[in-house]
Amino acid sequence: MIEKAAIFVLPGVILLSAILMLRLGKRGGEAFVRGARSGLSTTVSLIPAMLMLTVGLTMFTASGAVEWLAKSLSSVCGFLGIPSELLPLIVTRPVSGSASTTTFADLIAAHGADSPAGLAASVMMGSSDTLIYVISVYFTGAKGVRGTRHAFPVAAIVMVICVLLSCYLCRVLL
Amino acid sequence: MEKCFFILVSISIIFAISTGNLQAVSNAVVDGAAKAISLVLSLAGAMCLWSGIMEVLREAGAVQKLSRILSPILRRVFPKTWESGQGSEEICAALSANILGIGNAATPLALSAMEKMQAANPNKERATDDMVTFAVLGASSLDLLPTTLIALRRTAGSAAPYKIILPVWICSLVCAVAGVLLSKLCAGISRKVPAKSRKKNVKGIMRKAEQHD
Repeated sequence: MIEKAAIFVLPGVILLSAILMLRLGKRGGEAFVRGARSGLSTTVSLIPAMLMLTVGLTMFTASGAVEWLAKSLSSVCGFLGIPSELLPLIVTRPVSGSASTTTFADLIAAHGADSPAGLAASVMMGSSDTLIYVISVYFTGAKGVRGTRHAFPVAAIVMVICVLLSCYLCRVLL
Repeated sequence: MEKCFFILVSISIIFAISTGNLQAVSNAVVDGAAKAISLVLSLAGAMCLWSGIMEVLREAGAVQKLSRILSPILRRVFPKTWESGQGSEEICAALSANILGIGNAATPLALSAMEKMQAANPNKERATDDMVTFAVLGASSLDLLPTTLIALRRTAGSAAPYKIILPVWICSLVCAVAGVLLSKLCAGISRKVPAKSRKKNVKGIMRKAEQHD
């Protein structure tokens, strides 16, 4: 049911805009071209910051820091009620979208999607995002701003809340 | 941004030396640069498409309608932006795209929201409270239909791929609310502590760290 609804979201939005464009006539086409052009220049302006970030994050993932972090966090996790299978996912989730998707796929393949760890991982995966990437990209839109103030600490705390809550909700609800 | 890069690079190098992964990290430098460009390229199509559609929706007045519906809630979350009116429509559009699960559309919309907010920012070097709140909200997933997640669960042979949807909603909502509240709390604290003394401190530490290198 939900999946069927989801399939219609994207075509629906496109159809809506096509209808609106038709109704606006020439103005609609002009608006689209204007918007698309501004989208292109935004993309180009993203490149330098994206380069810096991706190089940093790729180096970080390759350095083995993730495995070390996961290992050193394992004793804390047992205490907080987090299945230790989740650790690699918890560490990669804020850093990289593609790495965390791979980690997640490996995790549910190894432990089963409906196992306690698999369920907790699914909830966590669905309710968190790659925070380092998102915040950095968002702030490239604000040219001239130096520093992101409390954005990263707050997002990190939210991430911790998300991990704890997803494990708790899985224990209680599922 | 500079700080983030510095921290990532120095941690990676320290780790690489201690674990003997230095070769892998050197390769990662080149791979990362290539990855960045392919990432931007893969984003470019969606960026152009959604920026174009956004402009059409605005021309037709649909964005204004949407923002009128969402205003009662979001006005409290982003008070300064709603006061100035600069960027409020973009915020509504970006958050709607997030909730509908059109992540590709959300990024360009969020970027133009940030641009508008920066245009109305009196102090161009310091991010406004609303900008930080918006970034935190963007970093917490608001996706109502986590389609990729469900597909991954199905591929892994789950008997009930949708089972997780209710906890995901609860968790997302709690995280979003917590993010907004925490961001507002921090903004309140930072207003009380004079900004100058903190800045000097951080710069001093960074300088020392660079000298050590």
